Amino acid sequence: MSLLEINNLNVEYRVEGKNIKAVKDVSLDIGVQDSIGIVGESGSGKSTLAMAILKLLPANITEITGEIIFDGVDLLKISEDELRKIRWKDIAVVFQKSMNSLSPVHKIGFQMSDIYKVHKPKASDREVKERILELFDLVNLSERVFDLYPHELSGGMMQRVSIALSLIYFPRLLILDEATTALDVVTQGQILDEIMKLEEKLHLTRIMITHDVSVVSSTCKKVAVMYAGCLLESGYVSDVLTKPKHPYTEGLLNSYPSLKGERKNLRGIPGTLPDLSISHRGCIFADRCKKATEICFNEEPKMMEFDNNWNVACHLVGGADCD
Amino acid sequence: MIKVQGGIGVKSYIGKRIATGILTIIFSFCITFFLIRYAPGNPMKVLAGTDNPNLELIEHLTIKYGLDKPIPVQFVNYVKNILKGDLGHSYMSNEPVTKLIKEKVFPTILLTLTSSILAVVVGTFLGVYAARKVGTIFDRVMCGISYFIDATPGFWLGLIFILIFASTFKILPTSGMYDLRIEKQGFAHVLDVIKHMILPVSTLTIIQIPLYFRISRSSVLQTMSEDFIMTLRATGMKESQIFNKYVLRNAIIPTITMFSLSLAFTISGVALIEIVFAWPGMGRLIMDAIMKRDYPLLTGIYLTISISICIVMIITDIVYAIVDPRIRLE
Amino acid sequence: MIENSQQMLKAINSIKELKVGIILLMILIGIAVFAPLIATHDPYVLNDEMIAKPSSKYIFGTDGLGRDVFSMVVYGSRTSLKIGIIAAAISSVIGTLIGGVAGYMGGKVDKVISEIINMFLMLPTFFLILIVVAIYGSSLSNIIIVIGLTSWTGTARLMRAQAISLRERTFIKSAKTIGESEMGILFKHIIPNGIFPIIADSTMSVSSAILSEAGLSFIGLGDPNVVSWGQIIAHGKGYLTRGWWICTFSGLAIVFTVISFYLIGEGMNHILSPKLNKIK
Repeated sequence: MSLLEINNLNVEYRVEGKNIKAVKDVSLDIGVQDSIGIVGESGSGKSTLAMAILKLLPANITEITGEIIFDGVDLLKISEDELRKIRWKDIAVVFQKSMNSLSPVHKIGFQMSDIYKVHKPKASDREVKERILELFDLVNLSERVFDLYPHELSGGMMQRVSIALSLIYFPRLLILDEATTALDVVTQGQILDEIMKLEEKLHLTRIMITHDVSVVSSTCKKVAVMYAGCLLESGYVSDVLTKPKHPYTEGLLNSYPSLKGERKNLRGIPGTLPDLSISHRGCIFADRCKKATEICFNEEPKMMEFDNNWNVACHLVGGADCD
Repeated sequence: MIKVQGGIGVKSYIGKRIATGILTIIFSFCITFFLIRYAPGNPMKVLAGTDNPNLELIEHLTIKYGLDKPIPVQFVNYVKNILKGDLGHSYMSNEPVTKLIKEKVFPTILLTLTSSILAVVVGTFLGVYAARKVGTIFDRVMCGISYFIDATPGFWLGLIFILIFASTFKILPTSGMYDLRIEKQGFAHVLDVIKHMILPVSTLTIIQIPLYFRISRSSVLQTMSEDFIMTLRATGMKESQIFNKYVLRNAIIPTITMFSLSLAFTISGVALIEIVFAWPGMGRLIMDAIMKRDYPLLTGIYLTISISICIVMIITDIVYAIVDPRIRLE
Repeated sequence: MIENSQQMLKAINSIKELKVGIILLMILIGIAVFAPLIATHDPYVLNDEMIAKPSSKYIFGTDGLGRDVFSMVVYGSRTSLKIGIIAAAISSVIGTLIGGVAGYMGGKVDKVISEIINMFLMLPTFFLILIVVAIYGSSLSNIIIVIGLTSWTGTARLMRAQAISLRERTFIKSAKTIGESEMGILFKHIIPNGIFPIIADSTMSVSSAILSEAGLSFIGLGDPNVVSWGQIIAHGKGYLTRGWWICTFSGLAIVFTVISFYLIGEGMNHILSPKLNKIK
């Protein structure tokens, strides 16, 4: 049974008279205790997708259609009050810019206690502090952090605070939005290790949003590749990232040097992201695709399913029988 | 990676501010002293009377007030006296400068404090409210009004108020601090003073409101777009709690800074208003002193004002350091 | 960066405040330049009708000495514009130089200059101006110079912040490696690139200079040889009840002028920080 089922999700921003389609018809299934990485360039819509799950996008300029079914409940159809009950208790987020993720003029312990009391208002101070210190321990933070201000910590420590904060109710689903991007490689490695240990311990389901494919390949079971708001390929990491079916995924992987094997020239993907405010004909990646054929420019490829939950949207794979 | 403890940081921050304050006082004092002394025109002539000043009289006065000595010597003497608490004697009235200042200080403080506090409270409240209702008619109208008020010279506004309320509608007195004709005691006197205070305080308050309105409005808007607000929202916290506990506390900080910065400006506004409303305060005193070239009085007043501003600024800085823990690092 | 004039016009048109502000300013400059043509009388002439109500002959009425208020207000625009613009120019230049040097040089130089700026902020500058003008004479040039010399702190802080953020940019570092002198970099790169917010801020300086001069004239320390709005108000104070038009129209002129500069400044700030635009 899937914990999170995203069906035909569309997110549009209305800004300065333009309609920007940030997420186009994305469908994903995430099972219990899955760990899935959503990869893509900046502007691919991956963060928007994550923010949409908890309806954290500015309501007055965003239009969302489709379904986001969490544990049987469509999050897009419930009231704000009901959604608030789910926020953080069942689904939590770790944001990217952790340095500013907490109020700079309040102590960390104070804020975390406050947040704890959002869903457990009757909890005693002792109970709250106990839980917070327990979380600090989980993420290897010293108890002293409780009485400190955010600016007194380093980037890595603040990131750990953010993770501890996200786990405060031991949620079922954890979304990490570029959570380690701002850190140096060593710290990133440490934190990723800690996250994976926690996942096992707390039976977490994890969605990792990142542009760094190597992070996904080393820490996630499944992967979904997004480009310009469209989902291009998804499946198990062992499949997709070793023998990618979609040209874009292939191009992404080629942009990363490998430690082993013969030395190759690094190849990026030439070109830039398309304008998301105008309708596009055909495959969204066609302009930058080396293998594009005529049909690619004329018809949008449908998502085809292969063995092992492997989904690809490309004319070159799974035949040209699109309607 | 853990940085300075709160206590040490605050102390050194305050220490630095006090040092700056003292430097400023010394600096401004030196400037005024030398500016005045090197000025053209001999105060003694003015004092002795314009027609046919008796040369002997002038000489006598000059020696009496020590103006015959070279200026550096005058300076040293003056500083020595200040440290003893003696600001010299006014040329015009021959009274000690300290006495003159003491008499006039209270009315000025009354006006300044009342209007400043009112302006901060009202301006901030309006600004916060406008930020919550950003884009609405209320917000846009308030922004427009604040432009107009900002562009209005305080003394002119005072005159218009006198025109409307005192002359045309005759509900408030035109000038002065209390009724000179009837002598009132006790509570009646207080009421009388308050009645006389309404127009000048209103003028001063209204003039200062746009400043606090703008600062608090933009600060709240800025804070609401910060990352941590997104975090708090994601946790399911109610908007009202986020606003009252977190937004306000963060947004109030620039207001404190602004209060401190605008002090020097406010004082000048008060002086002009005092003239418009014939309020018996320091403003009038300084004008007279300037006209009559009353050096001791002038220097004394300037010194007093500088010191008062410094003290208030330092107090404000202390409040700022308490409210914003980030500042204690430096 | 806005490169050609077409782009600039487009930008100006897109922002309401800027448009209105510039139009108002044009009107103002027009009035000042064509004053002799617009004014109905000679502002210094004492007509027979004293404290006359506004009429078709005396559009804003006359004052206690019989001078036509309308003409005085028209000519007063010259004084205000002169003072505002020149004083603001002086303070902007001083502020840019001081702030630029402090921000770019950093280190001890910056610390010292910042202390000086802090000190100046604590000074009750209006009184300083009063004292200087009262003692050294109230000619227009004195007033302009004193105001200019005391109002540079805002610009200095702004320029300093700009310089600090600019000096880390790569193109500055490359200029250094090429061997350009510090002063050269300061004048050829730092200042020109950081100048735009300064220009927006300088409109505030103009406004405050005009208001300061009005205050000075009101007390009687303005230049007696020129017509100044503050002066008119000072005179009108004595006839407040009998001749309300004297103070009213001169004051409104000040408000009108200051607002136009504010609008221009606000408009320029909008171009600079579109993020604030979204919030609005």
